[in-house]
Amino acid sequence: MKSLILGLALSGSAALSLAAQGTPSPRLEGRVPPDVVRAVTAIVDSASHAGLPVELLLRKALEGGAKGIPNDRIIGAVRVVSGQLAAAAKALDGPAPKAEPEAIEAGAFAINAGLSPDQVHSVAQAARASNSQAGALRTAGTLVAIGVPPGRAVALVEGRIRAGGSAADVLQLPQQVQSAVGRGATPAQAAEGLGKGAGQGPPAGHPDLPPKAQGKPRRP
Amino acid sequence: MTEDSSLDPLIVRVLDGELRPEDLPPELRVEAERAVRLLHPPVEAPVSLSPWFEQRVMAEIRRRPRPEPAAQGFLGWLLERRELRLSLRPRVWVGAAAMLALLVVAGVQWQATRAGSEVAGVGDSAYVRFTLYAPGVHSVAVAGSFNEWDPRQAPLTQTHTPGVWAGTVALPPGQHVYAFLVDGSRWLPDPASPTVDDGFGQRNSVVTVAARGRVL
Repeated sequence: MKSLILGLALSGSAALSLAAQGTPSPRLEGRVPPDVVRAVTAIVDSASHAGLPVELLLRKALEGGAKGIPNDRIIGAVRVVSGQLAAAAKALDGPAPKAEPEAIEAGAFAINAGLSPDQVHSVAQAARASNSQAGALRTAGTLVAIGVPPGRAVALVEGRIRAGGSAADVLQLPQQVQSAVGRGATPAQAAEGLGKGAGQGPPAGHPDLPPKAQGKPRRP
Repeated sequence: MTEDSSLDPLIVRVLDGELRPEDLPPELRVEAERAVRLLHPPVEAPVSLSPWFEQRVMAEIRRRPRPEPAAQGFLGWLLERRELRLSLRPRVWVGAAAMLALLVVAGVQWQATRAGSEVAGVGDSAYVRFTLYAPGVHSVAVAGSFNEWDPRQAPLTQTHTPGVWAGTVALPPGQHVYAFLVDGSRWLPDPASPTVDDGFGQRNSVVTVAARGRVL
């Protein structure tokens, strides 16, 4: 009798698992063609099994459907996001507890904005103590989206964290850069000025930074 | 009340309170008074018990053997059945009322604190006004990660300034990417916001809502 119950339970759970894998997300139905639903569902299942958050994958498919993008390009874009999530998760993986989904998504955003996985790792390490990895990564990505070179964006965020800035201070950086840009600076100049203003100049040898011999860029 | 055929209708009216027994003819009065006594006195008259009734009941309870306690020690003492007498004096009532009032006030304040945090949670969302200068177009909508990329959910309207379209959307905390849909076919990034690659050869704009509804 016990073996019968065990067998039924195992077969039931296996059937449920298979059904869950093959079930396309109802959010996609009617928003993207059936072929895209199937392909994206497979990508989502694979990402989910790898422990990655899947929300960005579904959103990218919805975005592609809304913009009338051809099927193969939607599927390709969803694969790219899946790769960015995997790269972010790997970059965040460290001795500390497993990365939060929010931090992985923020890392993927930063990679999409132009940061390398190594830079994501660096920012995440700097922000690990303050438990604000997601905010720091989003800030770094947003700085790059504004036009700050990735290396300078990383240096600025890390400098603000090392100077004891709070999570809110870090989140303010894009606004401060935009204010400086509004006054006529380039994004790179604004970031450099903010870093020096905080007494946290970017570390030597950082990529994207001009050699010292070139001197400071001038504001127009 | 249903009418009983065995009673005179006048007696029924007495039972219904429409007439008094003394209003009836003398030959019906005795029967009416008897009917009234039958129906009303047992319920209306106060119940009075013998003054020794309580003493007799309690003496009987004490006389019966006590059940064995189910447990020994403190637990047994705690579970043992015993006579309990309560007497509440005015000052005790006042104290109890004050304690109850304190508890109610504390409870209301606790609820208010909870409601405040919930309100703050709702307040973490930000009402973001999206604006696009697009002269000569017929429709503008904003779509993004906050509305499942469904432009029907957030159409912009023309403002009084010619060519300026605007609309307000409540955004939860987090980072959102979005774009404007012009005339139902053309996607444009917000020229006033940072942009990132959308993966389809175009750019999406980025807006970040921090806690307390601050837009960064």
